[in-house]
Amino acid sequence: MKEFLRRVYKKNGNIVYRKIADEFIMVPIVHEIGDLNSIYTLNEVGALVWELIDGTRSIKDIKDIILQEYEVTSEQADADIKEFIAALEEISAVRLFS
Amino acid sequence: MDCPKIQELSYGEWSEGFHKRLSDRRVPIEGSLELTLRCNNNCIHCYCNMPAHDTEEMAREMNTGMITDIISEVADEGCLWLLLTGGEPLLRPDFKEIYLYAKKKGILLTLFTNGTLINEEIADFLAEWMPFSTEITLYGATEKTYEGITRVHGSYRRCIKGIELFLERKVPLKLKTMAIRQNVHEIPLMKSYAEGLGIEFRFDSLINARIDMDKGPLSTRLSVKDVIRLDIEDEKRLKEWKEFCDKYIGHIDSDRLYTCGAGLNSFHIDPYGNIAICIMSRKDTYNIRDGRFREGWYNFIGRLRETPLSSDNKCRMCELISLCGQCPGWAHLEHGNDESPVDYLCEIAHKRAEAFGVIR
Repeated sequence: MKEFLRRVYKKNGNIVYRKIADEFIMVPIVHEIGDLNSIYTLNEVGALVWELIDGTRSIKDIKDIILQEYEVTSEQADADIKEFIAALEEISAVRLFS
Repeated sequence: MDCPKIQELSYGEWSEGFHKRLSDRRVPIEGSLELTLRCNNNCIHCYCNMPAHDTEEMAREMNTGMITDIISEVADEGCLWLLLTGGEPLLRPDFKEIYLYAKKKGILLTLFTNGTLINEEIADFLAEWMPFSTEITLYGATEKTYEGITRVHGSYRRCIKGIELFLERKVPLKLKTMAIRQNVHEIPLMKSYAEGLGIEFRFDSLINARIDMDKGPLSTRLSVKDVIRLDIEDEKRLKEWKEFCDKYIGHIDSDRLYTCGAGLNSFHIDPYGNIAICIMSRKDTYNIRDGRFREGWYNFIGRLRETPLSSDNKCRMCELISLCGQCPGWAHLEHGNDESPVDYLCEIAHKRAEAFGVIR
């Protein structure tokens, strides 16, 4: 987990994140990413993590902000963020930067 | 806290839910933007076309910067779906720049085109930056009928070539037509052509007056009998109509002029920067070149949306209103009055009701 917390991720510039009304949507803008038959949505916590991924902040930095914002244990935050990042990597929405 | 989550949903399921969730909130999630009213065709039935090289018209149109500013504003206000239409939008030399700007804002773009200006460069560009959808209007299944309508020699071949260029590159494409007296006999052929290509085809059979209220296009209107015949001779169309009747027959319980989605979640912007409640209803507009989209949407269109219906409106209690194309836009274009019934539409609604077994 220590190694994971040191990681820095960068967003794929070909995915545009939209907040419309109370909904968080990810829109792929080139055809290699995603397909038009499906759409990706984020919940509120997912949207916050997505907004915090900037190619500079480490996962630990992001986790610390999450711990300040929400009532959650450190262990649970680790597990949840790890699972979320894996889901983002699977659809090529983020890549490991350093 | 909830764990951070990303969810993949089928587009159709998500879109239906999203529209429902926003149906009682005025968020401009979808709109249409006319990039120009100029067109390289000269269709006999068109409601808006201007000559392709009309310099006065070019001078009136918004420039690239004005359009991208507006796109930026509509995206900020929540626009997810935007239709780029015309006239013929591909006539604009800055089409790609405008398109790409909107695309990079995360807007799902649909393009309406006559297909005749599609070349390899445009097709390659759209294959790279895939639109949400494109629709090409086919005016006939044969060169003679097609060009009898467009009045431009060579337009049929160029359109077919455009269709092929899109299909070769898997650019999402649907075909459609306006069914008019001059091409009604070729509707089945156009449908077969689209089916042979493996793409959707649809037609609209109701012709309205031009947006400047010129009644010229009305001479191409189908007879009521032909409109009904087209509705019932296609099994799929008839089934859809009957399902529609089961759901929506009955008068609309509202004392407002606008009872559709116009101005609720959708807007229209013309090539000069005027925002209107919809593409048909343009009597009242607000110029966002000099103002802001936000002001136009929330104040001007918001007030328009609240326009009351007259107490003596003849269509107010009609049980067949959902089968009828009657709306303030149609009424204004035909009669110069938002509420006057359009007899042609009224007759079609009654004949449809008989044909679909709603009334006997």
